[in-house]
Amino acid sequence: MIDQMEPAPKDTEYDLYFGPAHPGSGNFGVKLKIDGEIVTSARADPGYLHRGFEKLMEYRTPIQNAVLSDRICVLEPLNWNLVHAEAVDELMGIDVPERAKYIRVIMAELSRIQSHIIWYGVFSIGTGFDTGFKMAFGYRDYILDLFEMITGGRVYPAGYICPGGVRRDFPNGAADKILKVLDKMGEMIKLEELENPALDARARGVGTLKVKDAIRLGATGPVLRGSGMKTDVRKEEPYEVYDRLDFEVPVRSEMDAYARYMIGIEEMKQSIKIVKQALEELPEGEVIAPKFKRPRVKVKIPEGEVYVRNEAARGEAAIYMVSDGESKPYRCKIRGPDFLHMIPVLEYLLKGAQIADVPAIYWSLNICPADMDR
Amino acid sequence: MNPKEEREAQILEEIGSKFDVEGKIQRERRIWISLDNKDLIELCGWLKNQGFEHLSAISVTDWVKEGKFEVTYHLWSYKDKILLTLKTKIDRKKPVIESVTSIWKENAQIHERELHELFGVKFKGNSDLSPLFLEDWHAPPPFRKDFDWRKYVREEHYDKENAREVVYYD
Amino acid sequence: MVKRSKKAKTMRKVIKAIWIFNWFNSCGFAELIPLVGSRWDMERFGMIIVGTPRQADVLFIAGYQTLKSIKRAKKVYEQMAEPKVVIALGSCTMTGGMYWDSYNTIKRLDDYLPVTIYIPGCPPRPEAVFEACDKIFKHVKELE
Repeated sequence: MIDQMEPAPKDTEYDLYFGPAHPGSGNFGVKLKIDGEIVTSARADPGYLHRGFEKLMEYRTPIQNAVLSDRICVLEPLNWNLVHAEAVDELMGIDVPERAKYIRVIMAELSRIQSHIIWYGVFSIGTGFDTGFKMAFGYRDYILDLFEMITGGRVYPAGYICPGGVRRDFPNGAADKILKVLDKMGEMIKLEELENPALDARARGVGTLKVKDAIRLGATGPVLRGSGMKTDVRKEEPYEVYDRLDFEVPVRSEMDAYARYMIGIEEMKQSIKIVKQALEELPEGEVIAPKFKRPRVKVKIPEGEVYVRNEAARGEAAIYMVSDGESKPYRCKIRGPDFLHMIPVLEYLLKGAQIADVPAIYWSLNICPADMDR
Repeated sequence: MNPKEEREAQILEEIGSKFDVEGKIQRERRIWISLDNKDLIELCGWLKNQGFEHLSAISVTDWVKEGKFEVTYHLWSYKDKILLTLKTKIDRKKPVIESVTSIWKENAQIHERELHELFGVKFKGNSDLSPLFLEDWHAPPPFRKDFDWRKYVREEHYDKENAREVVYYD
Repeated sequence: MVKRSKKAKTMRKVIKAIWIFNWFNSCGFAELIPLVGSRWDMERFGMIIVGTPRQADVLFIAGYQTLKSIKRAKKVYEQMAEPKVVIALGSCTMTGGMYWDSYNTIKRLDDYLPVTIYIPGCPPRPEAVFEACDKIFKHVKELE
């Protein structure tokens, strides 16, 4: 009977603005052109959080920049702290002490776990699983308490990882507390892994991205690993002490939103493994290079240029720093992973998708608008 | 020569034999090359075929005293695990350069759009150079060195008469 | 019988719980979302997040605003129904904060929206946000 009915009317095209007041994205808009139920084109609208970091860093000395660098991406502050500190260390030719390197790795991996918890929580609420959201943010507070004990701030560590090492040593009892928190994280991952059938239906087969397209559009990190390519900056060009630690890089071949989401969960398990190994091997010694031991704000950076790449929770994070011999950097270019994920990759994936699938695709890319706008 | 830098030396030699460049190996996995504008597109095409598929970033440095903009392209090869940086200089008064979107497509296109807005560099051949971050901005491109932010902010936003804001005028 | 003004009467009747419109900027996001989570549960105080400005009582401006986003925040504020309240979170709304020399952020939120209460901090702790909401309830009770 239904085949004999007249076809649907032709004029079903309209524009939709997936706007800036958004739970889980925080000020980022996408303009969609829709025909019936299918999205025909998408155009990203960035710039709601643009502060001009690259030039703000030219007015401040490296120690002041260490405090500013936590705010490049709000959801993973310690990872960006680490990239900036490595860039200045390499320019100035500083030898970072061993204990400081291990502490840096521990803090960066805890920050990665915390960022993936946010990813899990926001993805759940986007696809309608409210309990997952509340549970995720409840467990995340254990790690924020750890940060407060070690660095002094729940969200922003006030430049804890600074050029030369780290600002202060672990307090007494920190190692035991970290191990207890990691046990709690293990519990949470067991709960997250229970295959939720609703999530399965919403995320499988949605937002497929092949490897060739991913490299052409500039995707890195979990998005590229979800398409089947085994790549990780920590294995390709190891920095700090990653070459001495034993961990795996999860890769999946399904290429869709479900694959990216499962990689996030696997990476949390690997991060827990890394932190446990680093705590066992933690040597004694100084935590900051002698040059920066006494607080000195004005230190001259020798002339030169350097490009440092790191693996942040969202992908490849890099800083290109140029110095002309003064005490402030001459140019500091920040390359964030989300700049590529939110504009070319999102526009490519949304084209041709059903409108009901738009949240699942959008949140499976693990975006952070602050990282894109800088 | 460091045994770990063999592949880097090999690549540098091959480039040196085909094009007129100045190159150096900073440490393992880092090659820095300076060249002239006219060879840029040809060298980029050759490098992409050699495995440098990933364009990590494009950046512009403003050398005010010399009167030049320096455009840098940072390329990463998944095959050899090496980062190669190309540096080329253009004139600051008329900043025009060929676009590399014919080689690295959308990845290059979005980087060039951002640099056009923030520095005012024109990329010939880029299909879309409309403003990305700023709305209704009618002053000179903000990231150039001759646009002093502190002076601009003190004129536009702060008030010297206000007792709480006098500190910003030191 | 104490004579109360018409505005005081409306506010006393209506504000027993605060409904918040979700305009979460980046810095505020990382510190306001734990408030919704299970540890600092804000629903026990009667605060929930709503999706439309027509149902909201409070607009939280949590962090720095750029010229582009303050225009949208103003539109949202105009659509909210009386009585409404603006709470400014963080030091960026007071004096410009860490980005005082940025060309694209606004320095004093007071120039654009009428602020009821400021909460200092970078970012402020969740307990500070609860104390601020508590002060709003007390202020409303004492309105003449």
